[in-house]
Amino acid sequence: MSYISVRDLSKSFTVRKKREKGHLLREKTQIQALQNISFDIEQGELVGYIGPNGAGKSTTVKILSGILTPDSGSAAVGGMIPWKERKKHVKRIGVVFGQRSQLWWDVPIIDSYSLLRDIYRIPESDYQKRLSELTDALDLGHLLRTPLRLLSLGQRMRAELCGSLLHSPELLFLDEPTIGLDAVSKLALRDFLKEENEKKGTTILLTTHDMEDIAALCQRVMVLGHGKKLFDGALPQLLSRYDTLRTVHVRYDGGINLPALPDTCLIEQDGDGHKITYAPEKLPTTQLLSLLQSAGNIRELTAQPQNIDHLIAAMYKEMDL
Amino acid sequence: MDTVKLYFRSMKMLLRSQMQYPLSFILQTISQIVMTGGELMAVLLLIDRFDALNHWSAGDLLFIYGMMDITFYLTECFGRGVTGNFAALIQSGGLDTLMLRPRGIFTQTLCRAIDPRRIGCISVGVAAVIMGANLASIEWTFLKWAAFFESILLGMLLILGLFLIEVIFSIYSVKSIEVVNALTYGGRSACQYPIDVYPRVLRLLFMVVAPFALTLHVPAAYILGKPLYGWPDFTAFLCPLAGAVLFFIMYLCFQKALRFYRSTGS
Amino acid sequence: MKKYISIFLMRLKMETQYRGAALGGILCQMFFGLVYIALYRAFYAGKPQDFPVSSLVTYVWLQQAFFRMLLAFDSELGEKIRTGGIAYDLCRPMNFYGYYYARSAAQKLMGSLLRAIPMLLFAMLLPDGWCISAPASLPALLISLLALMTGLLCICALDNITMGVTMRTIDPKGMQAMLNLLMMTFSGNILPLTLFPDSWQKVITLLPYAQLLDAPIRLYTGEWALSQAPRVLLIQLFWLAALTGLGLFIWQRNQKHLVVQGG
Repeated sequence: MSYISVRDLSKSFTVRKKREKGHLLREKTQIQALQNISFDIEQGELVGYIGPNGAGKSTTVKILSGILTPDSGSAAVGGMIPWKERKKHVKRIGVVFGQRSQLWWDVPIIDSYSLLRDIYRIPESDYQKRLSELTDALDLGHLLRTPLRLLSLGQRMRAELCGSLLHSPELLFLDEPTIGLDAVSKLALRDFLKEENEKKGTTILLTTHDMEDIAALCQRVMVLGHGKKLFDGALPQLLSRYDTLRTVHVRYDGGINLPALPDTCLIEQDGDGHKITYAPEKLPTTQLLSLLQSAGNIRELTAQPQNIDHLIAAMYKEMDL
Repeated sequence: MDTVKLYFRSMKMLLRSQMQYPLSFILQTISQIVMTGGELMAVLLLIDRFDALNHWSAGDLLFIYGMMDITFYLTECFGRGVTGNFAALIQSGGLDTLMLRPRGIFTQTLCRAIDPRRIGCISVGVAAVIMGANLASIEWTFLKWAAFFESILLGMLLILGLFLIEVIFSIYSVKSIEVVNALTYGGRSACQYPIDVYPRVLRLLFMVVAPFALTLHVPAAYILGKPLYGWPDFTAFLCPLAGAVLFFIMYLCFQKALRFYRSTGS
Repeated sequence: MKKYISIFLMRLKMETQYRGAALGGILCQMFFGLVYIALYRAFYAGKPQDFPVSSLVTYVWLQQAFFRMLLAFDSELGEKIRTGGIAYDLCRPMNFYGYYYARSAAQKLMGSLLRAIPMLLFAMLLPDGWCISAPASLPALLISLLALMTGLLCICALDNITMGVTMRTIDPKGMQAMLNLLMMTFSGNILPLTLFPDSWQKVITLLPYAQLLDAPIRLYTGEWALSQAPRVLLIQLFWLAALTGLGLFIWQRNQKHLVVQGG
């Protein structure tokens, strides 16, 4: 059996709407957060988990970390059912929420760490060894005596990560770890995660909206939308499916108008030029170029590379998310 | 034992983090002394005007008042994690963080906050007890001391139990339920005075539902040498156990409620 | 002036949105009212006083019903002071004294009316000895309502002074807690002022704290006859003028100070 094995997992929430005028009782609606999700993850994998807001990513993570109980279906992590054996299970996992802190605000972070040591019952020798390992890798040594509230956002994220890894978890959930970080911190964080995954064999499930994180780290991506799993495979495979459109930018000498183009093209005014998005399958590039040339003297023509965020947006749109 | 150690370690750390703002701490402690002092003054003014309440003398009243203060504020000091705003913890997702750690949720809830400023309120309570004990000229014996400490300890459990009701509600509804304040803060205000001066409905409420009468008034009356309703002495040691019972029931309900916890969206 | 009236009206509307929270508060106030009354009745049983117990019961109910007027709790302003955001407000070319005055008046009025109506209905339905009594006379009722309104204005002015003073201290919380205690004690909320020693009463009924609820209630129960009404109103108007003047002075000084310091 796989390290993480999820079968037909479903979870719904009852949401009470705000009472409308004239109605005595508030309406209740069921929101299906997860619908029959199944997947397997092997030990040592680094998997990206993406989807628009409200797709059910957090719900999956919360179920797998033992916070929530699913309505139906099964999930096992290393042979344990998370919500049934919460205390035993969470000992082996680490969770980092990008926008939430698990450290104590007003005390030096080293004090937070030693309290975590007591909470996780980490033997002193293991703790010292792991702490120096992590402070080296995350460059935290000089910050240990600083209270959390005085750290910058990037420093704080590193401190959080250290706190979540002190007990050497075999499975790490990361929820938006790079949110709000500057470029340098982002790159450093990615390197660290990669190393942790490769050297320690830590299994990592990364939830993010930052496609660069995924491209840099994950061999495998899962896409979730409306509580359903829509894709599970390698990132290039996912992108090639949606990488069907090209964009060119064209500007003419003088105020010449664009020639008539087929309906399949999307035209946007862009300054004194135009942005044309087209599908080479339907309108071959040579044909487009000759059409454009016939209209007048082209001063400038640039082809724009496809942006990964745009691809994902196109994908969400097509999947009707 | 390990859990107790963890609790004290947490308390030590929280205390240190509060001491990061010493001026604020001192000012707030003083303001709490003044506040409870103001309430004590109200009692003194009432006693000044009416001399006594039924068969309870001024000293008796002060003594009971002080015991209630000590019990209640000790609970708020050391049980701040439970008595504080639990709904806020849920709304901020803090409960999720607790659930991600390999310890009991109740233990961690207790470990998450301390309110050392209550030391001011507690000292006012101690002053009232000393004044009351002197005025009522209590003859202290070993058994009376035992009853005194048992009452405070089990009274604290009772109060924790009552606050747990609010916690349980907020786990279900993610909001705090103000009505429960009638039992907790209402119970404190009402039971600062002997139970037998109240009409029957209130007596029943504080005997059965929120049994402050059993944890506080029965032993206090025994210490004062005026057994409540003439009950035999051993009841002073037996009745306070009601506090432990209520706490235990609420503790079980709390564990049950956690299974229905639905977390908040991110 | 029109600006402040529209702030006032907007605030009134907002207050009505929190019906759910109000219900829990009302039930608690009712419970507290019952407990206090039970206690005072027990005290009276041992040693009756000049001030009749029925009037004391009325006093307690009216205090409970309008309890919210005492709360100096404008969470938005409090938060602004805590975070220092108030500095930006004060630098803007608007009279924020008037703005917060109108806000807190609306908050107090609507918040307490929402609570007072069900509370008073409940208090009327209680059995004899526990229920609120009718006003001494119709004129007494009218004059006490008038006094309540002037009292409300006094208290808002007082709140603004509290805010103005604490605005520039490092730790507003402790200071506000103390000033709140003064309010609770000398408004008769913790203990009816009628139960304070008679000699103290001569002084504390003159304080601005007593103007909000204590004075109107005494006019309502008839403890103070109609002939006393002008005296009460005069005291209230004096405080209103004095407190508003002092408040304006403090706020303007804060404003200047902040502008000079550049926030």
